Amino acid sequence: MFSKLSRKLNLFALTWRLPIIIWQFVFFVGPVLFMVAMSFFLVKNYRMTEAFEFVNWSKMMNRGYFWDSYWYTVFIAAVSTVCAMCIAFPAAFALAFRASDSTRRWAIFLLIIPFFTSYLVRTFSWFVILSESGVVNAMLGSIGLGPFTMLNTNFGTLVGYMTLTLPLVVILQTVTMANIDKTLVEAARNLGCSAFRTIWQVIIPLSKTGLIIAAIFCFILSFGDFVAPFYLGGSQEPTLPILILDTTKSGQQWPRAAVVAIMMMLTLFAIAFIGIALAYRKPKGAK
Amino acid sequence: MSAPLVVFDKVEKQFGDFVAVKQLDFEIREGEFLAIMGPSGCGKTTTLRMLAGLDAPTVGEIRLGGRVMNDVAPHDRDTPLVWQSLALFPFLTARQNVEFGLKMRGVGAAERKERALKWLEKMGILEFADRDISTLSGGQKQRVALARSLVMEPQILLLDEPLSALDAHLVIRMQAVLTDLQRELGITFVYVTHSQSEAFAMADRVIIMGKGEIAQIGTPKDIYRAPANQFVAEFVGRNNILSGNVQALSNETARITTPSGNFTVPTNTVQLTQGAKASFVISADLVHISLGEPDGENKAQCKLISEEFVGSMVTLFLEDAHGQEFKVQMQERELSKFDLNSGDQIWLSWDTASAHVLDQS
Repeated sequence: MFSKLSRKLNLFALTWRLPIIIWQFVFFVGPVLFMVAMSFFLVKNYRMTEAFEFVNWSKMMNRGYFWDSYWYTVFIAAVSTVCAMCIAFPAAFALAFRASDSTRRWAIFLLIIPFFTSYLVRTFSWFVILSESGVVNAMLGSIGLGPFTMLNTNFGTLVGYMTLTLPLVVILQTVTMANIDKTLVEAARNLGCSAFRTIWQVIIPLSKTGLIIAAIFCFILSFGDFVAPFYLGGSQEPTLPILILDTTKSGQQWPRAAVVAIMMMLTLFAIAFIGIALAYRKPKGAK
Repeated sequence: MSAPLVVFDKVEKQFGDFVAVKQLDFEIREGEFLAIMGPSGCGKTTTLRMLAGLDAPTVGEIRLGGRVMNDVAPHDRDTPLVWQSLALFPFLTARQNVEFGLKMRGVGAAERKERALKWLEKMGILEFADRDISTLSGGQKQRVALARSLVMEPQILLLDEPLSALDAHLVIRMQAVLTDLQRELGITFVYVTHSQSEAFAMADRVIIMGKGEIAQIGTPKDIYRAPANQFVAEFVGRNNILSGNVQALSNETARITTPSGNFTVPTNTVQLTQGAKASFVISADLVHISLGEPDGENKAQCKLISEEFVGSMVTLFLEDAHGQEFKVQMQERELSKFDLNSGDQIWLSWDTASAHVLDQS
């Protein structure tokens, strides 16, 4: 009787889970498998034909411009992650430890608001601020500095990445640190740890998991972003998303674009895997 | 007696409009085991936190070894605290936890390790030195927390209800560990608790707090036999409290009229006036029972309501014809001679010297 009942329950649960399972297969697993297959297709007379050749892989892997773009993208996404984590930390720290509960709630609400507006629109608004005749250069000019070129530089790309990632990183860091047991911070103070030193000795170790997850998110978003490097960075040094666009435009090379996309996915898988492993690692020397 | 180690000089602490403690005026002697006891919200933990520098007094002064501590940061004090939650660092092993304070004080790695291991051994948990905190049992964590504080070799150790999370049998064992440690090290322990049995079992002196004020300071025996006022008498619990008016006064005794009858009390502790209100207590273990009416001046006939056994001790709950409740505590083997059942009428009596008059103020 019980087994019958549990089977009924399983059917009931399955019915509810089915839509998301179907969705994942149709719109995620399927396309990924197709993309992998496509990376072995050939393009003849600007038309893709089914085949199983390694020519796309060998061409892309042997091209200097692919690896230049690959390492540049890894580098700029890593710089973006470090910048976002550092810029966000003092704000998140203040919200987690100094602000009242209601202030913290309001701050998190306000940090969600940027997501209401299109990221593209927020990116374009930086033109007004960063261009040669923009707000920043006008202000610097009034004290005799500049003008500085900020658009179409790495700096511009990073500003775009920050626009994309900072609100999320601040929220993740705040929520993580707000949840740590304040008694542990007091215990450290009680044992001779100065207020500043508790950040390294207690707060960062305690919020390690959340901080690493924030960093992973930041890296993934920056690594895969097309808008910031294209519009604010000027795509002078193309990142991988720009490379994908260029590859598809030039000669309909969808299979080679698929190779780039697969490389990106593998990189993100590796980063996420290493990050999660680090985040949940046991203390040093513990059995 | 040498100069006190700690002095609380008219200390008051407010959180916004809320007065957590006021008129804290007491001393802690060097090498004593002092318990601060009271119900939840009485300000006992705030008192301890002020001593550790985690809260600053709003008014008054706290001196440690003659030095005014009000503006000394917590990390510059030598007042390690054993927390109710233990507050062990989950990202460190047992040994690293014990080493933490030494590391903060700039002690070298080799010495740190040696001292930490020495203390872990002393606490009987050396084998768990390299274990993750989350894999330790409650009692083992307790010992790590103690070692982490004691490795600092402080003059004074603060304990904030450290045994409240342990099983009853472990509490008894840890009480013995704590009293032995305190005697062996000769350092001052300040122990905050809501548990009377813990405080009375371990402390040399007890401070009873209520509503942010000190209700009584004294040895456990003082507090048990001679509670200063109604609050303490009720808090201590194993007391019979009777209230009435002073009917007659003589040199050393007074006759007090209560709804339950007239009783004689000694007047050596409190000044009484004819006709004034007066309350007195008799400890439950100083009341005798008998089936027939006893001789003597202090007696009451009561109905047995219920019995409560704790080990070989039994507490009888009784009520007289006027609704006055009585408690009697005695050895189970003594009680068994009487063969009592609920609802039986029996007589209670006590010596005049057993009664203690409460301060009315």
